[in-house]
Amino acid sequence: MFEVLGARAINDIGNIGQFGRFCWQTAAACLRGCWNHKTYPLIWAQMHIIGVRSVPVIMITGAFVGMTLAVQAYDQLAAMGFEERLGVLINISVVKELGPVLAAVMLAGRVGGALTAELGTMNVTEQIDAVRSIGTDPIWYLVAPRVLACLLLTPFLIIYADLLGILGGYFVGVVQLGINNWAYWSFSASGVELWDIAVGVIKGLFFGGAIAVISCYKGFTCKEGAQGVGQACTEAFVASFISILILDFALAVTFKAIYNTFWPFKSLVG
Amino acid sequence: MNTQNLTTQEQQDSTPQGSNGILAVKNVTKRFGPHLVLDNVSLSIEKGKTTVVIGPSGCGKTVLVKHLIVLLRPTSGEVYFNGSRIDNLSEQDLNEVRTHFGFLFQGGALFDSLSVFENIIFPIRQHNRIKNWRSVEDIVKSKLAMVGLDGFQNYYPANLSGGQRKRVALARAIALNPEVLLYDEPTTGLDPIRSDVINELVLKLQRELGVTTVVVTHDMTSAYKISDRIIMLHNGKIVADGDADHIRNHPHPVVQQFINGQVGEDDLAILRMSGTASQTQFLPRDFET
Repeated sequence: MFEVLGARAINDIGNIGQFGRFCWQTAAACLRGCWNHKTYPLIWAQMHIIGVRSVPVIMITGAFVGMTLAVQAYDQLAAMGFEERLGVLINISVVKELGPVLAAVMLAGRVGGALTAELGTMNVTEQIDAVRSIGTDPIWYLVAPRVLACLLLTPFLIIYADLLGILGGYFVGVVQLGINNWAYWSFSASGVELWDIAVGVIKGLFFGGAIAVISCYKGFTCKEGAQGVGQACTEAFVASFISILILDFALAVTFKAIYNTFWPFKSLVG
Repeated sequence: MNTQNLTTQEQQDSTPQGSNGILAVKNVTKRFGPHLVLDNVSLSIEKGKTTVVIGPSGCGKTVLVKHLIVLLRPTSGEVYFNGSRIDNLSEQDLNEVRTHFGFLFQGGALFDSLSVFENIIFPIRQHNRIKNWRSVEDIVKSKLAMVGLDGFQNYYPANLSGGQRKRVALARAIALNPEVLLYDEPTTGLDPIRSDVINELVLKLQRELGVTTVVVTHDMTSAYKISDRIIMLHNGKIVADGDADHIRNHPHPVVQQFINGQVGEDDLAILRMSGTASQTQFLPRDFET
């Protein structure tokens, strides 16, 4: 039993080391890629696949998050006579938490799955070895453009999700449930700060990077055959999802600490 | 069967100390976990000649050829190219070394999202700043003409047959005018006529470009036709090394068994133990209740 546990522990440590090395190589390739004109068309192509094609699903996700929040929260607030504060509840929830997290989960499924399947298939059909045999670094050619595209575009996709979430909440709260339009927006404006929106968008940067690196890593290390690729896709989604949750918690704690530290100076800036 | 003595003798023969060796592996051992795939293999490849590596499936042929370009790194041992050790270089430094090689993968390994033109231009684009596209188009045209596929520039790999895919992959492999061409089972999965087309192509490229060629195959017709030298691997060791006649008349029973395509006593014993066909056959009635 100890032998099995020990072997598993050694294997897990080896895998963590391998992933760490992959992250390091990816970071180096991304930095190199920023100064190499040959990388730009590759990034551009990935931006189209990863970013532009994800806009509809991200917008649908955001809209339904906002609408559902409005439906769920209205009765509780109305019972206390606070229904006009529905806007602030929806908007702060959407821009700070639900928009970034649910948009990232949607991206992990749509983009992460596609990245793992594509690179995994390239791996099992020796196309990645072919890139290496030609004298090209596959991390620079295949991973860096995907990671950079995800890093650059996830924050923008989160802005789309936020926007549609806010509109969805407005539609249900004001148009359907009849909350006063002026009160809805004025409470929202007093409750939601630019900082809250920035926190959500900065989270997107981390989520996008995590989804891309994990998905590419799983593709690069997937096992032979259709089953190997399928398993890699599942593992990539699960690992991305858990990473999003962990990063979300860690970033929430960090940003709260930063906010509390600099809050006394806010009046000086504002 | 005295395989140990033969192995040692043949391995000594496989490492000529002459200066004409462009590629060499010295005491290379490769393990994948507990599996020993290459067992202290030493070998020198002569410049401008065609060396064919034969052996049964799973004996380590592909692993050996991937070591020559350091797509795999040895567990122990050394790999040399033009007298310089390359197995200890970083991936960055290896990228430069690899421009001297062309590698034809078993399935072609064409980039399926790129057209034939883009596949062939890929190595050129990676290592050169292209200013004159007209000249690049001419280069692609000439490479495709060499493999008899000029006019297929706009096709995608999915629209090509198995033989055509290998020929396009070969055109890509020669795009950078390599000094060494490595072929991993170039005729596997092709009918006899397409296989012979590939054999003729290997000979043509060797003749016209003067490249050093290493071919991994278990197709003996192909091996006899294209080889200057044949090396046989068995259980990760070199058991035979010489020209086609030397291999044909080799006394080692494993070599004779392989080149004549005969099933061994060990395999027959396993088949006998696995039961008769009627015992192993399931009929629909077996599942009826």
